[in-house]
Amino acid sequence: MDGIHDVGGKLGFGSVKTTDEDPPFASPWDGRMLGVARAMSRPSDWNSDKFRHTRELEDPVLHLTRPYFDQWYKAYACMLVGSDLVTLDELASGKSSGASPIGLKPPMSAEAVSKIKHLSPSFERPYEGKIRFNMGDRARARMISPTGHCRLPAYVRGHVGKITAYHGAHVLADVSAHNHTCAEPLYTVCFKLGDLFPEREGSVDQVHLDLWESHLDAAE
Amino acid sequence: MTEYDAKQAAHLHPIIHSHVPSEPALRVKALETLLVEKGMLDSAAVDAWVEVYSEEIGPRTGAGVVARAWCDDAFRQRLLADGASAVAELGITGWALGNLKVVENTATVHNLVVCTLCSCYPHGLLGIQPSWYKLEAYRSRAVRDPRGILAEFHETIPDNVRIDVWDSTAELRYLVLPQKPEGSETMSEESLAALVTRNSMIGTQRHLSVGIGEVSRGRNS
Repeated sequence: MDGIHDVGGKLGFGSVKTTDEDPPFASPWDGRMLGVARAMSRPSDWNSDKFRHTRELEDPVLHLTRPYFDQWYKAYACMLVGSDLVTLDELASGKSSGASPIGLKPPMSAEAVSKIKHLSPSFERPYEGKIRFNMGDRARARMISPTGHCRLPAYVRGHVGKITAYHGAHVLADVSAHNHTCAEPLYTVCFKLGDLFPEREGSVDQVHLDLWESHLDAAE
Repeated sequence: MTEYDAKQAAHLHPIIHSHVPSEPALRVKALETLLVEKGMLDSAAVDAWVEVYSEEIGPRTGAGVVARAWCDDAFRQRLLADGASAVAELGITGWALGNLKVVENTATVHNLVVCTLCSCYPHGLLGIQPSWYKLEAYRSRAVRDPRGILAEFHETIPDNVRIDVWDSTAELRYLVLPQKPEGSETMSEESLAALVTRNSMIGTQRHLSVGIGEVSRGRNS
């Protein structure tokens, strides 16, 4: 979706407040929120794409001004309410007013964390379909503007880049956020900064994006 | 249980915002207490995750990988070819490392990592993102004005060095392999690891130097 989250190439956000080191969590509650998110029992249909799309749909003003882990809170609160696992009143009071949800796995134990912290799931999937692009092919990012989740950023739409890597077929985030599952060929596409932004004309610099086949058309 | 439709969030967000406690600390506390009562959460597991990302997994993990690549060229080549398998050789696996891509700085190329759509990051190697990595000032301009961004980090990139920006739009996660600093030829792998900064592995620092940039070795932050 063309939402507030899609900030690549936008101007006016000012200079970067640089740091060399940061505490992992600015406040204790940031750490608690990360821990809650990692440890809670969750329905089997939840995934990171649904989480990202839920976060994208937060009010733009809040999205730009609320702390990062507060946005996590909001996204998980939406997902819990939307899955009928908790009610608004329960979120407000912190007290359960009904039965525990059925059908969920028991919560993660502290012992389990020592194993789960080592899991590195890959998003590559078996694929026997055709692969449309070869290394070095030119491809144009489609001029699309879906209302749902979309991992093709606005700043490259309509522009031509070069295929520089093929990664196999990966879970397509754009549909995985909306209760479908499919895998599509994933490529790295290299764009010249000068082709994307007029003031960078003649620049040697380039930007690489990982884009799925349904984001791309063949280009001359 | 109802299958969650993410599009519901458009109407749920404002309702939730007006219902829950206004202070983040209070609303997170209420959420944790509620989920424990519901049998959906064990607070000891929350403690364990906080400890993992406060004490155990952080930039020192990535720095060890960089130092190994500097000392062992065969490992370096495996790391560049298949990052996930190479770091797994060192026993490093975890959050966001299943599709790891390592990109190498050279005399003529400088790499810079960003996520313009959210804040994707190689957590299993670098821990939790820096504050600026999650904010719009960095995310918006890294792809448009990388030299300007680097200048804000006090790095000037010569005109004959190309900047390659990596926008993490899918599930690949990027780690920059910085150049080994001059004057470090006789240093041990462990001493080399201590020279590697977090920002150099994101690409907002290009020049590492011997004796400068050494970070605290206690907490993994």
